Amino acid sequence: MDLAQKLEILADSAKYDVACTSSGVDRPGRHGSLGSCAAAGICHAFTPDGRCVSLLKVLYSNACAYDCGYCVNRRSNDRPRASFTPRELAELTIGFYRRNYIEGLFLSSAVLGSPDRTMELMIEALRILRQEYRFNGYIHAKTIPGADPLLVERLGLLADRLSVNIELPSEGSLRELAPDKKKSAILRPMGQIAVQSAASRRDLAVYKRAPAFAPAGQSTQMIIGATPESDRHILNLTEALYKKYALKRVFFSAYLPVVADRRLPALTTRPPLLREHRLYQADWLLRYYHFSAGELLNEAEPNLDPYLDPKCTWAVRHPEFFPVEVNTAPREELLRVPGIGPKSALRIVQARRMQRLGLPELKRIGVVLKRAQYFITCNGHAPARGTRAEIAGALLDPGAFGIGVQQLSLDDFAPKPLPAAAPAVHELAAQGVAPAQAAQLVREEALTCLVRRM
Amino acid sequence: MPGQAHVTDTAYHYDGTFAGFLCCIFESYARREIPADVCPPQQAQLTLYGVRDIATDATRARRVAAGLGRLGPAVRDRIATGFLHSAAPGKDLALLRFARLAFARGPQAAQMLGDADAAEAFALERAVLGEAHHYIEFLRFEERGGMLGAVIHPKHCVLPLLRGHFCSRLPGEDFLIFDAVHGAALLRQNRRVQYLAMQRYEPAPDTEEADWQALWKRFFRALTIEERRNARAQQTHLPRRFWPDMCEMQPDAPGDGPKHT
Ligand code: SF4
Repeated sequence: MDLAQKLEILADSAKYDVACTSSGVDRPGRHGSLGSCAAAGICHAFTPDGRCVSLLKVLYSNACAYDCGYCVNRRSNDRPRASFTPRELAELTIGFYRRNYIEGLFLSSAVLGSPDRTMELMIEALRILRQEYRFNGYIHAKTIPGADPLLVERLGLLADRLSVNIELPSEGSLRELAPDKKKSAILRPMGQIAVQSAASRRDLAVYKRAPAFAPAGQSTQMIIGATPESDRHILNLTEALYKKYALKRVFFSAYLPVVADRRLPALTTRPPLLREHRLYQADWLLRYYHFSAGELLNEAEPNLDPYLDPKCTWAVRHPEFFPVEVNTAPREELLRVPGIGPKSALRIVQARRMQRLGLPELKRIGVVLKRAQYFITCNGHAPARGTRAEIAGALLDPGAFGIGVQQLSLDDFAPKPLPAAAPAVHELAAQGVAPAQAAQLVREEALTCLVRRM
Repeated sequence: MPGQAHVTDTAYHYDGTFAGFLCCIFESYARREIPADVCPPQQAQLTLYGVRDIATDATRARRVAAGLGRLGPAVRDRIATGFLHSAAPGKDLALLRFARLAFARGPQAAQMLGDADAAEAFALERAVLGEAHHYIEFLRFEERGGMLGAVIHPKHCVLPLLRGHFCSRLPGEDFLIFDAVHGAALLRQNRRVQYLAMQRYEPAPDTEEADWQALWKRFFRALTIEERRNARAQQTHLPRRFWPDMCEMQPDAPGDGPKHT
């Protein structure tokens, strides 16, 4: 098998892993080596599904000894198998990196024989990159559940970020669908990485040349929609993971049926992309907006609203919090206003030190007022008064009703619901309602329902 | 107060260089006036106002540069970077007015986004930085005989903003970035950087390079999840104007070998 073919198979097998970011570590170039890292991460390409390509994301091997129900690479699935050699992988990374195609490597693998053997091969590939090619770019490596802690440690000394995928959001689902993996095999390395990474940061603070262990921290990923957990369950788990293991990111991946299995959603199920999107929005609120999971969802409302982003949902539920005065409110309160994000909030706080802010000033600062205008005052004046229906109309997320031409083939110009449109829109369209009309019907209903709640 | 100045109906014409622009700022203070327009040679014919030609004088330019330097990196970079903007008529005037605001109000002027001139200077800087960042993401090198080369078609003069990133990232490499729109190139050779005037860069075909590009394209195709296809999102993140210089966005040439589906 030639290298191009291997690359195709092993990229195709890795594509469902969503975490393709190169963020979390700032490292300038060094004389005598190749590469640098930018803390914010850099995307280098965007695939036709709109996802960022930042890293050479491949599996070391897809010849798996395990049989997880939700996975294309499961032992019992019939598909072409391939494995790299450590050197092939290193050369590929360097060739792509020099051409500015990628920020580095994201290496993961199926279980090739045993977890330990797989990890040893991955470590050898990274060793060649770091030591022989003096590669100073980004490396994200996924540990293999069940591998020896010493191997996890060696991997962490070569990689910038480590991840251990939690895969499914509950132990019950894991037992049911991934019988070869134990919860402890996932949480134990997570704990080890959290401890060693914190220790290494402490050492580095004292002694600059101390070896860095996963300086960009760790992340995890879970599959959404393969199993019955609610958004509330998922968000609570996410919050707990951030706290307990100091994770940098939790990624969600909308389940895409790849194999027929009676324990899983039917093959015709559409991936729940809108739900995934809402979970990411909620995740942002946890990380950058000082929200807690308990504020966003509760027993009575265990799932995120498909038609409203979670911050708007919170605002609708808490009219007593508003309006917020832009000239005096602390940053945390500004952040709760629909339409004001961390950047706008910071600019408001800076600009108001020099001048009073009215509506024209807010516009110049770049605050998007479509939603915010109903939730703020400037010098005590409300910039806009709207009827409940007008406000509700501004709050609804247009993405949930997105219709567009997708061009699945060259002669395809018919508008269709976009992949992340609400399930109700997809269903109506599938029943034969014209897409634009389907979107409008669903929107009207969502609007009526929202006005009633306000 | 030195900021006292009246708005005139005279336009300043200068030579289009940054030093020349700094001399316009100098002139504006010397005459205690704010010009009606500030024009580089390309825009000069269009003006409706009376004209004053501003000579470029290195000593004056240095004095203004030193003054801007004292206002802190935020103000200085906003003006220097905003100046690389090459699409907005009136940008020179906006930057001059912002410079005056900064001299009057100090380093905080950078954060006075409620002010029209400060907001415009900010917008100019942001547009240029945004484009430079896009090229940090989307620029593609090709290798010829051990040397890397890339062609870009930017709206603004972004080469100076690419220099630091690529020199730091590729410390041991020689490379060339050719800005085909502005006819300039950034050349790094033997750890030295030069800017060259250059009209064309057409590397000869090379089979090894073609193989790398084919590998990359194959990887790129394999990554796409058809069920999630969303061409609109792709275009939002990667605007179409960047596509012509990116190998993976080109359709396959006829003899590119068999494709797997
Ligand atoms: S161990 Fe990983 S690659 Fe193997 S079947 Fe399970 S999820 Fe898939």
